[in-house]
Amino acid sequence: ALSSVVALGANIICNKIPGLAPRQRAICQSRPDAIIVIGEGAQMGINECQYQFRYGRWNCSALGEKTVFGQELRVGSREAAFTYAITAAGVAHAVTAACSQGNLSNCGCDREKQGYYNQEEGWKWGGCSADIRYGIEFSRRFVDAREIKKNARRLMNLHNNEAGRKVLEERMKLECKCHGVSGSCTTKTCWTTLPKFREIGYILKEKYNAAVQVEVVRASRLRQPTFLKIKQIKSYQKPMETDLVYIEKSPNYCEEDASTGSVGTQGRLCNRTSPNADGCDMMCCGRGYNTHQYTKVWQCNCKFHWCCFVKCNTCSERTEVFTCK
Amino acid sequence: VPYMSVKCIDVRKNHHKTKWLMPWGPNHCEKLKDFDEAVSRQIEANDIVFAVHIPLPSKEMSPWFQFMLFIMQLDIAFKMDNDLKENAEITLDVSLAYRDDMFNDWEEIAHAIEIRKLKCTFGSPKTLESEGRHYDCDFLPFMEIGSVAHKYYLINIRLPVNERKGINVGIGEVKDIRLVGIHQNGGFTKVWFAMKTFLTPSILIIMVWYWRRITLMTRAPVLLEKVIFALGISMTFINIPVEWFSIGFDWTWMLLFGDIRQGIFYAMLLSFWIIFCGEHMMDQNERNRLSGYWKQVGPIAVGSFCLFIFDMCERGVQLKNPFYSIWTTEVGTELAMAFIIVAGICLCLYFLFLCFMVFQVFRNISGKQSSLPAMSKARRLHYEGLIFRFKFLMLITLACAAMTVIFFIVSQVTEGHWKWGDITIQVNSAFFTGIYGMWNLYVFALMFLYAPSHKNYGEDQSNGDLGVSSGEELQLTTTITHVDGPTEVYKLARKEAQE
Repeated sequence: ALSSVVALGANIICNKIPGLAPRQRAICQSRPDAIIVIGEGAQMGINECQYQFRYGRWNCSALGEKTVFGQELRVGSREAAFTYAITAAGVAHAVTAACSQGNLSNCGCDREKQGYYNQEEGWKWGGCSADIRYGIEFSRRFVDAREIKKNARRLMNLHNNEAGRKVLEERMKLECKCHGVSGSCTTKTCWTTLPKFREIGYILKEKYNAAVQVEVVRASRLRQPTFLKIKQIKSYQKPMETDLVYIEKSPNYCEEDASTGSVGTQGRLCNRTSPNADGCDMMCCGRGYNTHQYTKVWQCNCKFHWCCFVKCNTCSERTEVFTCK
Repeated sequence: VPYMSVKCIDVRKNHHKTKWLMPWGPNHCEKLKDFDEAVSRQIEANDIVFAVHIPLPSKEMSPWFQFMLFIMQLDIAFKMDNDLKENAEITLDVSLAYRDDMFNDWEEIAHAIEIRKLKCTFGSPKTLESEGRHYDCDFLPFMEIGSVAHKYYLINIRLPVNERKGINVGIGEVKDIRLVGIHQNGGFTKVWFAMKTFLTPSILIIMVWYWRRITLMTRAPVLLEKVIFALGISMTFINIPVEWFSIGFDWTWMLLFGDIRQGIFYAMLLSFWIIFCGEHMMDQNERNRLSGYWKQVGPIAVGSFCLFIFDMCERGVQLKNPFYSIWTTEVGTELAMAFIIVAGICLCLYFLFLCFMVFQVFRNISGKQSSLPAMSKARRLHYEGLIFRFKFLMLITLACAAMTVIFFIVSQVTEGHWKWGDITIQVNSAFFTGIYGMWNLYVFALMFLYAPSHKNYGEDQSNGDLGVSSGEELQLTTTITHVDGPTEVYKLARKEAQE
């Protein structure tokens, strides 16, 4: 009776989530516990995206407002590449973390694949480490299920999803501990640990800066896009597995444009003195900026105690902020 | 198995009775996503409990795991105005409980307040820009239990804050606590036990046989024979599979006991090498007493005693408090280091002595070999026997030692798995059993080949015409063992003859 209630609940929940592809909906119904974790993972990816691009003209703002699933950038640009990679990595990260927290039932014992079909027996015989492979596999099944159209964009998205997961996998750290006689190193156990997601964000940002433009190679008979190659004259190189790839040039994200998915920079805060992307010249695309003067009140000289005790003074100062016209 | 702790809120306002907080399952605790939530809800640090259930859902622990070892990793985020202090110490209020049934109440095993030093580094520059990045912290020893007698364990950790006493002040922003559990694989334990159960009787039988050989002789056993016998005893002591009891009983001292047994065996083996070399010195010195070797055996005794004390301090105290570790306090670390250094010095001293003795033996051998043809038949046989059995032992000892060292290096380099196609071979486990079996074989061979012979003893000693008709194997045995028996007789005879 309980399971049917859960199943009913799952049905309702899964149908209510907007933006799910049919196959994703099926996964959601079969694993309702996982969908929450997946949602958290995708949200984590979007948050990280917004953090990484907080000073850019494009600041990931279009994503994650209504739902964490299914929204996409229309243009196959670098930015799209980044969002796909970070979402895929976020889902894999969240699933793996949830496994080690015990929040997901029947997480893969990595030994299952080695012929121990009875999970309980396998655990007692060989132990296991809830590892990244399960998270990656899950991310692959769920996130990649979104790509249903057979076009160039699909290839690009799948490549970037895989690149994000690959980056995560490569950053897994191996840590070891000796525990022989009297703690000597005659026996040593090693395990892998998940990297911090912020670290993944920084790496993917670098990959974003070095993203490569690709074009589609169509197989001769059916004219179906089959694989990607680096867009250069006389080049038949495939992009690297961990490279982010894009097929179209990015718009400049200055003006609001629904067709490119750009929200424009109107009303964005900028820094008058900075020569970088967050500087007013760059940010406002030469439209100029408004200056507001106001008294800023903030908490200062704070004294923190773990975890949640903060004692602060209140300071105030007259400052000015600049927003793009 | 990595475990991530779940942050729970202790909703009861009065902490008069310990209640256990479960991270998941039917009556899990009220969870907290992150600490920003806690700030807004005005939850105090003392009400936050990091809960870890061992093992993960739908699994259970088994006594075959033999021991549990836990390592703690703290995720500390960098914040400009809440920086981690130099040499910060974190105070943990930890408790451990068990139950054997999903629906029983938790029974407490241990509760302790532990202080651990934080050793963290920060990779990026400490600017506002890198706020939110994490420190890179060394993992901390957390807990060690010598037996896994229960099915489910639960760990609750609190980080109490007391500003006046300076407890947990300046530890940065602890985001998460992660634990890594290490235990022996059940399969390995089974193979290991099977091996021990098989090896015990074989060593025991050869020991009885060996002792019978010695008692058959008309003289009292010489020192070398006693040492070999003692080596056999210590090997049996290691072999006896008392671990079987740990399946049925909750004996947490098994780890300590195992360490002691191994220590005794190593000490015995080292002493044996020294005495064996000494007995083959061929310089007519009378050495048939242990006191003759005090210089060499002394360091072994001191060294093993130091390690024993160290082990008692670490694992002995852990019997009482599984969260204890000698490395966490300043004094403890110094003490532990002192013990280990003394033991290391002793070991170096020992090896110097050993190398020196081996060198001496080889020098004597080459000296004797040049004068061999000039000797009488009996004497020649005596020396040839000595030389042969020394070289033989040198060879197998070196081979065994080389194997062990190679194993050690390989196990350090590889990560425990070698992949051959689809089959993952657990090299470490295979090596362990292999090396263990090899040293057993070594002791076995020692006792078998070096047992004194009772054959041809009475009539042949005068002409030295040894077992010519017997087979090769027997010839080897008799040649190399005969000499040891009649050494004293020969010596006396020679002296008389010279006079």
